[in-house]
Amino acid sequence: MAVTAATAALASGPSLQRRAGIGPWFALAPMLGWLLLFVIVPTLMLVVVSFSERDSLGRVIYSFNLENYIRAFDWKWLKILGISVWYAFLTTVICLILGYPVAYFIGRSSERVRGLLIMLVMIPFWTSFLIRTYAWISILSQEGLLNALLMTLKITSAPIGFMYTPFAVVLGLVYNFLPFMILPIYTSVEKLDGSLIEAAYDLGARPARVFAQVVLPLTKPGIAAGILLVFVPAIAMFAITTLMGGGANPTIGEVIQNQFTKARNQPFGAALGVLLLAIFIFSLWLSTKLRRGEEE
Amino acid sequence: MTDALSAVPPAKRWWLPPGPVVQRAFFGGWTIAVFAFLYIPILLLVVYSFNDSKLNLQWVGFTTKWYGLLFGNEVLLRAFQNSLIVAAATTVLSVFIGTTAAWLLYRYRFPAQQTLGLLIFIPMVMPEVLMGVSLLVLFVAMGIPLGYVTLIIAHTTFCFPFVLVGVQARLQGIDPALEEAALDLGATPLKAFWLVIVPYLMPAIVAGALMSFTLSFDEYIVTIFTSGADSQTLPLKVYGMVRVGLNPQLNALSTLFIAATAVLVIASQVFTRKKTT
Amino acid sequence: MKKHKTQLLTAVCAGAMLLAGCTKKDDTLKLFCWTEYVPQAVIDKFTEETGIKVSVENYSSNEEMLSKLLAGGGSYDLIQPSEYTVQAMIKEDLLQELDPAKIPNLKNLAPEFRNLPFDPGNKYSIPWMAGFVGIVYNAETVTTPVVGYQDVFKPEHAGRIVILDDSREIVSWGLATAGIPVNDVSDANLATITPMLQDWLSKVKVYDSDSPKTAMSNGDTDIGVVWSGEGALLFAENPKFQWVTPAEGVHMFVDNLAIPKTSQNKDKAEEFMNFVLRPDISKMISDEFPYYNPNAEGRKLLSAEQLNNPASYPPGFDVTKAELFTDIGEQGSKVDELITTLKVE
Repeated sequence: MAVTAATAALASGPSLQRRAGIGPWFALAPMLGWLLLFVIVPTLMLVVVSFSERDSLGRVIYSFNLENYIRAFDWKWLKILGISVWYAFLTTVICLILGYPVAYFIGRSSERVRGLLIMLVMIPFWTSFLIRTYAWISILSQEGLLNALLMTLKITSAPIGFMYTPFAVVLGLVYNFLPFMILPIYTSVEKLDGSLIEAAYDLGARPARVFAQVVLPLTKPGIAAGILLVFVPAIAMFAITTLMGGGANPTIGEVIQNQFTKARNQPFGAALGVLLLAIFIFSLWLSTKLRRGEEE
Repeated sequence: MTDALSAVPPAKRWWLPPGPVVQRAFFGGWTIAVFAFLYIPILLLVVYSFNDSKLNLQWVGFTTKWYGLLFGNEVLLRAFQNSLIVAAATTVLSVFIGTTAAWLLYRYRFPAQQTLGLLIFIPMVMPEVLMGVSLLVLFVAMGIPLGYVTLIIAHTTFCFPFVLVGVQARLQGIDPALEEAALDLGATPLKAFWLVIVPYLMPAIVAGALMSFTLSFDEYIVTIFTSGADSQTLPLKVYGMVRVGLNPQLNALSTLFIAATAVLVIASQVFTRKKTT
Repeated sequence: MKKHKTQLLTAVCAGAMLLAGCTKKDDTLKLFCWTEYVPQAVIDKFTEETGIKVSVENYSSNEEMLSKLLAGGGSYDLIQPSEYTVQAMIKEDLLQELDPAKIPNLKNLAPEFRNLPFDPGNKYSIPWMAGFVGIVYNAETVTTPVVGYQDVFKPEHAGRIVILDDSREIVSWGLATAGIPVNDVSDANLATITPMLQDWLSKVKVYDSDSPKTAMSNGDTDIGVVWSGEGALLFAENPKFQWVTPAEGVHMFVDNLAIPKTSQNKDKAEEFMNFVLRPDISKMISDEFPYYNPNAEGRKLLSAEQLNNPASYPPGFDVTKAELFTDIGEQGSKVDELITTLKVE
C-alpha cells in the first residue's frame, strides 16, 4: 500500500508551474513563431480551400460553399475512415504488446548495452521504406520465403496467400511503427529506480503484482506517449497500406492523396483533411479534460 | 524470495539486466524475437544486394557489381547525401525546438496553454499531401525559393512534435528537487536547465532525435512539394524506380549505410569508458 | 592557424551551399520529369555534347506535376506530361509554342505520331514514349483462352487478378466492353457500366499502378490488366507471362515533352528535344524503357528481341486505330468516386 502511494506520487509529480516571465516568453518565441507560420497558416489555408471549388484543370477557385462537406458525410467516406481508425487501433495495441517488454529489457540493461540496443532498434529504418516493404512482399508472397519455409517444414502443403490481406497491412504498419512505441516507453523505463522494485519484492509481492502496481504506473507517461506517436500518424498512413493491402481496402490517407492527384479535387481533399483534424483535436481535447478530471 | 533478490548480477556480467533469472530470460528472449522480426527484411535486403538480377524478385546468382555501379552513380549518391544533410539539420532543429518547448510548457504557465498543446499535434495528424501543398503555397507566397531551407523547415514542422511528446513524457514525475538544488546554488534558470535538466532528459532527447532523423530521411510526399532541384533526396529517386524494378544499387547503398552506422555505434559503445555516477 | 583556415573555409562553403540553393541558375536546363523515365546516360550525353547543364526534378504523377507547376513552385524548362494533360494545358494556355525550325529531328517520328488529336502537328509537344494497357497472364496457370477484358474477370480467376489502380483506366475498360467510346464518360454511361464494374472489382485481389509486375511475378496473381511496359518486363523475365491486346479495344497513352509558359530557356529546351529525337538517343531510351517508341528512325536501331516483345510492339497492332484519352475535366472526380465506392462495398 505504501509502495503504491509512493509510486502514485512519483508518477504525477507536484506542480511546479510559475507564471511565465519575459525570459520564458522569449525562449518560447521560436516555437510559437514556428507554429504560427508553418502550422496555423497552412491549416487556415486548408480550411479556406475546403470551402472552395475547382476548375476543370484542378485549380482552386476560391469561393464559399459547403458542397465538399456535405459530400464528405457520405457512408463510404465514413466507412473508409472507420477502417483506417480500426487498423491504427490494432497496430497500436500490437505495438504496445510487442514493444513494452523490449523497452523494459533495454531500459533496465546496463548503460553500455542500453545505448547500443536503442540504436539497433532504429537502424533498420535508415533503409529506404520502399525496399524494406518490398523485402516483406518478397517474404510473404506466394512464391516467397515464408511459404517456402512452411512447405519445407511440412507445416503446410500449399502456399498461403499472406500478401494483400488485412494481416499483411497490419504487419506492415506494426513493423514501421514499432520503434515509435519502444523509444518513448524506454525513456520512462530508464528512469525507474531499481530500489523501488527491489523494495516491492522485499515486501513479499509476486512479480505480476510488482509489475501491475509499481512498474506499470511509473511507466504510464511513456506508454501514453508511445500510443500517441503510433495511433495518431497511423490513421493517415497510406503508402504501406496500399503496398501491403493491394489497394482493395483504401484508407482515408489514400483517399485524400487521390483527391490531390488523380481526382484533381483539392477542395474535397482539403475538406476530408479538415474533418480528420477536427476529429483528432476533439478527441485530444476530450482526453485532456478527462485526465484533468481524474487528477482533481 | 530472497534468493531471487540476491541475484543482483556481479559487475562481470554487465550485459544482463538485474532481476530474477526467469524474468530476465523472458524479457531477453522476447527482445531477441522482436529484433529478429525487425531485422529479417533487412537481412533479405542485404542478401539481394548481391543478387545478379535487376528485378530483385528471385535469386539468380552472386555478384558484387551493384556495389561497383553504386560508386559511379553520382545521382543516387548525391540524393543520399542530400537526405543525410536534410535529416541531420531537421534533427538538430527539431530537438532544439521540441526540448525547449516541452520544458517551457511544463515549467511555466502560459496563457492558452491547452490550445498550444493541441496545436502541436496538428502536424502529426495532418495528411502529408495536405501539409506539402499548403507549405508550397506558403513558400511561394513568401517568395522563398525552394531548396534546402524550405525542405528543412517542412521536415522540422512534422518532426518536432515527436521530440516534444517524448520529452514531455520524461518530464512527468521529475523530481523538482533537481532544479531547485541548482537554483539554490545560484544558477540562473537557463543554466539550471542546461546543466541539470538536459542531462536528465537525455534519453528522451536521444529517442526524439532518432525518431526525427528516421522520419525525415524517408519522407517523400512533403519533400516532393517543398524541394528544389538541388535538394533532391533519396526517396524522390527511389519512389519512381518501382516501375522499372527497384535498382539493387539501392540495396547496396542501404547495406553499406546500415553497416557503417552499426559499426560506428558498436565501436563507440565498446570504447567508451563506463561513467562513474 | 590551419585549423581556423579550414573552419573558415567550411563555413564559407556551407554558406555558399545555402546561398547556391537560393540563386537562380539561368543557364541550367531545368527538367521536370517522371522518375526513371529519362535515362541519366541521355542527360549526361546531352551535357557532354552541348555543354548545357541539366538539373532534374522528379514527380510520379501528372497531377503532382501540375500542382507544383500551378502553385509556382519552380520555373521549369521542360515537363513530361501525358497526352490528356497536354491537351488540358494547351486549352489553358500553359505551354509555349515550339519552333519547328529548331527541332529538325521531328522528321524522325513515325507519321502517325505527327498529328495526334491532342496536339495536331506537334505544335506544343513532342512524343516521348507511347504505351498501352493490356492483359498479361501466367500461361502456366491460366489454360483457358484469353482474348479480352471479359476473359480476365471470369469466375475462375476470382481473387487472382491484378489491375491498375487507376480509376480512369478501369472505367475505360468497362466502356470499351460495353462498346462505348472511352472518352464518353458521362454520368449516364457510368451508370450503365456500374453493375459490370461491380462484378469485376469484386474479383480483384490487387490494385497496383506502380509495379503490378510484382504481384504477377510473385505468384500472388495469375492474370491482370497492366501497362505494356510492365508486360514487357515480365515477358523479358520469363516467357510464361503472355501478353494479349484486348479484343474489345485498346487505348494508347503518349507521354510527351513540352515547355511551360514560365520557362526562360526555350531555345535550350528545344535543343534538348531535338537531341532526344536523334535515332541513337532514341535507342538509348528504348533500351531502358521497353515501351512503344514513336521514333521510326530510332526503332530501326532496335534489336530483334526488343521488337519481338509483344508487350512493347504488339503484333498486328494498328496505332492509328488506338484511342487516346482526352481530358475529361471535372468528370475525373466522379470517376474516382465511382471506383472508390465500388472498392469499398
